[in-house]
Amino acid sequence: MANERNLSLKKETIIDTDVHLQVKPDEIAKWVDEPFKSIMTKGHIGNPLPDSGWDRSMAGKIEKRQITGPEDIHEKLCEEFHIDHPIINSFGKLGKASMSRLAVALMKGYNDLVLQKYLDDYPHFYGLITVAMQDPEAAAEEIYRMADEKQYIGVFIDNTGPNPPLGDPRYDVVYRAAEDKGLPVSYHAYDSGFIVDFPRQNAGVESFFAVHVLTHPYAHFLTMTSLFEHGVPEKFPDLKFIFLEGGVTWLPYMMYRLNKVHSIRRFDAPMLTKTPEEYIKDQFYISTQPVGEPNNQEDMRKIMEVIGFDRMMFSSDYPHFDFDHPEGLEKFLRVNIPAKDRKKVLSGNAKEVYGI
Amino acid sequence: MTDHIVAEVSEIEDGERILVELKGREVGVFYLDGEYYAFANWCAHQGGPWCEGTLTGTFEGEFNRETLETRLNWVKEGKILNCPWHGWEYDIKTGTCLSRRSVKLPSYPVRVEDGKIIVTL
Ligand code: FES
Repeated sequence: MANERNLSLKKETIIDTDVHLQVKPDEIAKWVDEPFKSIMTKGHIGNPLPDSGWDRSMAGKIEKRQITGPEDIHEKLCEEFHIDHPIINSFGKLGKASMSRLAVALMKGYNDLVLQKYLDDYPHFYGLITVAMQDPEAAAEEIYRMADEKQYIGVFIDNTGPNPPLGDPRYDVVYRAAEDKGLPVSYHAYDSGFIVDFPRQNAGVESFFAVHVLTHPYAHFLTMTSLFEHGVPEKFPDLKFIFLEGGVTWLPYMMYRLNKVHSIRRFDAPMLTKTPEEYIKDQFYISTQPVGEPNNQEDMRKIMEVIGFDRMMFSSDYPHFDFDHPEGLEKFLRVNIPAKDRKKVLSGNAKEVYGI
Repeated sequence: MTDHIVAEVSEIEDGERILVELKGREVGVFYLDGEYYAFANWCAHQGGPWCEGTLTGTFEGEFNRETLETRLNWVKEGKILNCPWHGWEYDIKTGTCLSRRSVKLPSYPVRVEDGKIIVTL
């Protein structure tokens, strides 16, 4: 039975749209100049990019999974999970850097690191250009600097931490650069940003369970609402927006809530000339993981049908504790939805959006 | 289809409206910039009495991609009808809902003959 499943997985083309690296301060330090090199390595306590300190190790109950080099991705994701193309993102803590000069230095260092250490020797890998939204002009420049590297196929934004929220006109320069270069922008929340976005609540909950449940949908709610408030999808009609690692079921709620409030208060978001749902069904995408788990699987099929199979892209989020194994999702899709829709989710949509 | 005389032209000032009942239906008749418009008093949202709403202007957005300048212009003063229930905005000249362009309120033909306003329905 296991073999049979693997076989089916092997036959499918699978693009994993959310693959993470662990980059420690002393590693990134090698890719930046002084004084940032020293800032990253000579601190007396902890990491200069603040962490909320919550436990992600599951108190040591699960295997330790790390990606610290391209061979880890190749062995684990490409060979064992049969992922044809991993898309590497994430320098997740960039949004938390308190000094924008430091954030800009780390952004450039990180993009060089990914390119030279991960992409150059592995032509089937792809990457997203990480940008520091603390300095929108520098972020836009970074997009122009990196966009012609063929394996960089999108822009990556950490959306826990940026203030004001990401629809604000100060970021238009970044969106214009991405649109100019034909690159979609992806948003990804980080639990370590909970301490920034929910400062009081962070002190009010008792477990990483609560932080993790709340961070991802909240960051996406805020980002998506801000994009519509300022009309970003209308301003940049050729730009695609991707929301990573929030699962899928949050989208219908937001889509219909945005529709409702927009109809009532259109004059507050007058850049929009269509309903939020129309923009979403044209320019917005979500990655599947962590796919929600209704007690009755049939319910998930119905929700996915509402969202539409054109909008979803497979992601594993490996090596995080709530990663989705491609075998599980592929099987769900194989049993529940038509083959042509399954292929869209596993690779077709990602191919189209990222131009792979 | 029947012609209904709903008022004398002198009874509706520019920018004003009257509500009448025709064949059991409430109809709003508007006079704006020298033209008459007649609509069913039934909002496409949840059936609110939209013809009784306020006439205001509204914001329209404008974006210059070159300079990244966003401008919000207050336009169409007195030509946007806001449904009194939840504020859906309609362009009175077309009956089109500004937030949902596919929504258009049913209108009735209006004409003036011998100083009388006639709605056909
Ligand atoms: S009924 Fe008219 S806006 Fe709701």
